[in-house]
Amino acid sequence: MADGVRTQQIADSPYTLLHIWFVTLALKLLLFVGYHSTDFDVHRNWLAITHNLPLSQWYIEDTSQWTLDYPPFFAYFEWFLSQLVPQIVKDDGCLDLVEKGQYGLPTVYFQRLTVIVSEIVLFWSLHWYMQTSKKRDHITFSRSYVVAASLVLSPGLLIIDHIHFQYNGMMYGFLILMINNARLKNYLWCGFWFALLLCFKHIYLYLAPAVFIFLLRSYCLNLKFSKKANIFVNLIRLIRWKNSIKLGLVVLSVFGVAFLPFYNQLPQLLGRLFPFSRGLTHAYWAPNVWAIYSFLDRLLIQVYKNLPLSHYPLQSLFEFNPLLLEDESLISSSTRGLVGDIEFLILPTITPQLTFYLTLFYQVLALLPLFYQPTFRRFLGALTLCGYSSFLFGWHVHEKAILLVIFPITFLVSRDKVLLGPFNLLVGCGYVSLFPLIFTCNEWPVKVIYTILWYIIFYFNFRKVVSIPKVNEGNILDRVINGYILGLIPLVIITTLIDIFENKFEFLKKLEFLKLMLYSIYCGVGIISSFNGFFWYYFIYDSLWID
Amino acid sequence: MAKSPQKKSKPTKKSSGSVKPPSVKQQTSIFKNSPIYDLLHNFEKAPDQWTARYVLVMSAVILRATIGLGGFSGYGDGPMHGDFEAQRHWMELTIHLPLSEWYFFDLTYWGLDYPPLTAYHSYILGKIGSFIDPSWFALNASRGIETNPVKFYMRFTSLASELIFYIPAVLSIANLMGKKFNLSRMDQIIISLIIINQAHLVLIDHGHFQFNSVMLGLFIYSLIELIKKNYMTASIWFVACINFKQMGLYYSTFIFVFILSQLKSIQDLILVGFTVIFTQLIILLPFIRDPNNILQIVQRVFPFHRGIFEDKVGNFWCTTNVIIKYRDIFNPDDLPKLALISTIIAFLPINIILFFKLRNAKHLTPGLIYGFAGNSFAFYLFSFLVHEKSILIPLIPTTLLLLIDPSQIDIIQWINNVGSFSLYPLLKKEDLVLQYAVSNFLINWLIGPKLLLSNHNLFYSLIIKGSYFLMIVYHILDFSLPPPQRFPDLWVILNIAISFGAFSIFFLWLNYKVYKLKVE
Repeated sequence: MADGVRTQQIADSPYTLLHIWFVTLALKLLLFVGYHSTDFDVHRNWLAITHNLPLSQWYIEDTSQWTLDYPPFFAYFEWFLSQLVPQIVKDDGCLDLVEKGQYGLPTVYFQRLTVIVSEIVLFWSLHWYMQTSKKRDHITFSRSYVVAASLVLSPGLLIIDHIHFQYNGMMYGFLILMINNARLKNYLWCGFWFALLLCFKHIYLYLAPAVFIFLLRSYCLNLKFSKKANIFVNLIRLIRWKNSIKLGLVVLSVFGVAFLPFYNQLPQLLGRLFPFSRGLTHAYWAPNVWAIYSFLDRLLIQVYKNLPLSHYPLQSLFEFNPLLLEDESLISSSTRGLVGDIEFLILPTITPQLTFYLTLFYQVLALLPLFYQPTFRRFLGALTLCGYSSFLFGWHVHEKAILLVIFPITFLVSRDKVLLGPFNLLVGCGYVSLFPLIFTCNEWPVKVIYTILWYIIFYFNFRKVVSIPKVNEGNILDRVINGYILGLIPLVIITTLIDIFENKFEFLKKLEFLKLMLYSIYCGVGIISSFNGFFWYYFIYDSLWID
Repeated sequence: MAKSPQKKSKPTKKSSGSVKPPSVKQQTSIFKNSPIYDLLHNFEKAPDQWTARYVLVMSAVILRATIGLGGFSGYGDGPMHGDFEAQRHWMELTIHLPLSEWYFFDLTYWGLDYPPLTAYHSYILGKIGSFIDPSWFALNASRGIETNPVKFYMRFTSLASELIFYIPAVLSIANLMGKKFNLSRMDQIIISLIIINQAHLVLIDHGHFQFNSVMLGLFIYSLIELIKKNYMTASIWFVACINFKQMGLYYSTFIFVFILSQLKSIQDLILVGFTVIFTQLIILLPFIRDPNNILQIVQRVFPFHRGIFEDKVGNFWCTTNVIIKYRDIFNPDDLPKLALISTIIAFLPINIILFFKLRNAKHLTPGLIYGFAGNSFAFYLFSFLVHEKSILIPLIPTTLLLLIDPSQIDIIQWINNVGSFSLYPLLKKEDLVLQYAVSNFLINWLIGPKLLLSNHNLFYSLIIKGSYFLMIVYHILDFSLPPPQRFPDLWVILNIAISFGAFSIFFLWLNYKVYKLKVE
């Protein structure tokens, strides 16, 4: 086909996010009247704090337990939103500084609308991503459409932002602006957007090592040694001073704008941002390594209690205090997964330091190839792995953090078929693991059917646009993966049946915890396997990572 | 790329000996530039089309489930509540009482007044629900229960009923008609999506709460059999339809006319007649031991003492009632007769024309659907005991007309919009304004304003645009101003006046189309 015809085709092609925006807008509007979590009141309280108090009090105020614990840009953002609150919403109690919010539908409508409007950043950033792919060939463009559509339609965002209530859409919009600038080699903009993102929500620090190494290597360092100059000159030339200063200025000024107004409250601010008093796991275990670890501990407790033979080997192996095991209340409280002082009765306790070193270890492993080969695809791979390792090994990880992995990996899979395996496993298990977040029955069909629908659409569409595999892997692995993902269906059915018949059969009430554990374990195994697969491809198949 | 667009807009069967390449069909889709086509274009290739069907069904479920998050009729409005409580109450009474008491039990509190199939349907759903949690349907103790789980269960029953009866029916009639009228697969899917996601049915069944989709699904199955010329099977479905909800009788005159026009011999007539009676007998069989029961069912199902219309309806009687107070002029006993005579006058022309035209086999299917649409509109506009939800009945065959000629989308979607609009006062009472706005916006936006306002005929274009304008003005008025003290119903009357105007014009249009149905 002639080139002119091809560009014409791209220009006329119906790939546009606008229609998707309108359709999902309808869905999101209908979700207004549904369930929302305490995060709603958290954000409402922040609106109240930023509206009613001077800047200096923002990070001190603690009338409500939902204190402001996001970085300054988010606080500014809340302040900005609070200026837009109409009178009818004010009268509804939206801006009252109280211990527990007393609000009605007007507040819900207002805050939900702000989420929808702020999500335009995501649509706009992906629209730009598609526009910048347009210049290349048709297949790149249709790939970019599938990627963009899969992200804006993400069930994760629907569940977390539009049912549970948070502002992730906007945050991930910034992340995508950063990623696309990296692709276009606008390194300064890349640094700017990431700094901005960090000042909105500090959870993205998990991705910072990859961004840092990428910018350092491809923008600030010059590893080409000139044989003519002596070693001293070469060492000075190692750093591209002009670039480094520019980037440093950009990043520092963003942080300056964010944090300088809070100069006097800096210790309190940092204390709010990094609370280390929380437990290793959440009430509902995020599906990561610690979920499996906690599960093993529970399992060993039962073994210990029911098998007298096991006393000696277990005792000598783990050197725990057997007296603790006699305290029934402790066991039952820990099997409910409440955050307590003692989390493990048999297995060794996990310290924050350990989780930190483990995370760091896997991140450094991912960063080494990036340092040697700072291509855009390596960068995405390193971002994904940074997300993976912090999700799998981090301290007090929320299940919502799975989006940190899903977003960067989505940009990679459209290129090669081998990555589809880990990707499918990740999104399948990752999105299903969000289900317990929404426990109300009325939203059940929405979250479940929507996720299945999303999965069906994008399972086939990604398969359609990926290129023929460069590496020919066995089909058996694909089948195992598909089988595992299909296994999520009985998982959801069983847990739903437990929910339905809870009132009828008393013993099912005791299984409340088992239900959550099933989710954590099944999804945890899936996500860890997808991590292994991805890790493997990251190190073994070099050809995947060349732009 | 230059494929000449076919000048023939009407996809009538004009197959000569040559084999048409399938790609030509896809080129002529009138939905080509609509948002809905763009959204589904990734599935337009044959191997992917099955995915589009799943997308269609699942998105329909999601739409209904999210609409269901909103209010329902009579929510928090004791002691009588509304249709939701009525349906729940029927489940409660059918599972606890012996069959012989079903139609007699406490008639003042939502006594059962739907035909036996609804009662059996309630019985099954009640049994299942009470297996999960008996307190939802405890006799008398559960009256007015509105907890989240029971709400969810009830929503689930209407969703499941629709998934079993209505959606497959629409998909299969789209398939059948698609073959008959050369519609591409994509067009079939898009038209099914438009039919299935019409705001009025979704809002009434899953917002307000009723089981209309079951009745409509049974009707469509009957229609499918009529198209296939299996008149006996068709009559079984049809008897089931009117035995689920008596409103299905709006279709009855035409099915009678149609079968009469098609029968070749007296033998066939007897067979069909026998099938009807036999099916009816089987449905009534559990009640038949006691004739009192049958009598009671008939009295409950046809309550002629209730009045000529209920609430405010955009039909002839209610609208003209503003000026002519029928209840003062006429004896209450004469009103049904008056309604009957005017209904007959209204549906007579269509039926007479069609009775002769249908003898020509070529017009069988179009005539069939136009006939049902026209007849049920005549009933809606002029018959006795109409309530606002009855508009669903004429709107379904009307929307099915899309399968005959998709290019009529502007007029058909217009009348569907008017139908949803006529339900607005009811939905407003039940806190479903958000759902009303969103579902109407969604379906219209999917089709696209370009298609909706595409009519080139000045007259139609004026009417369509004019009434859209009036509806927008109405909503602005309703939103910003309370009605004047002296006429608290003024806005509602305005609503029904606009609706009635549009419905009458559309009814005339149907008559005109039937008259113009060409005999070649």
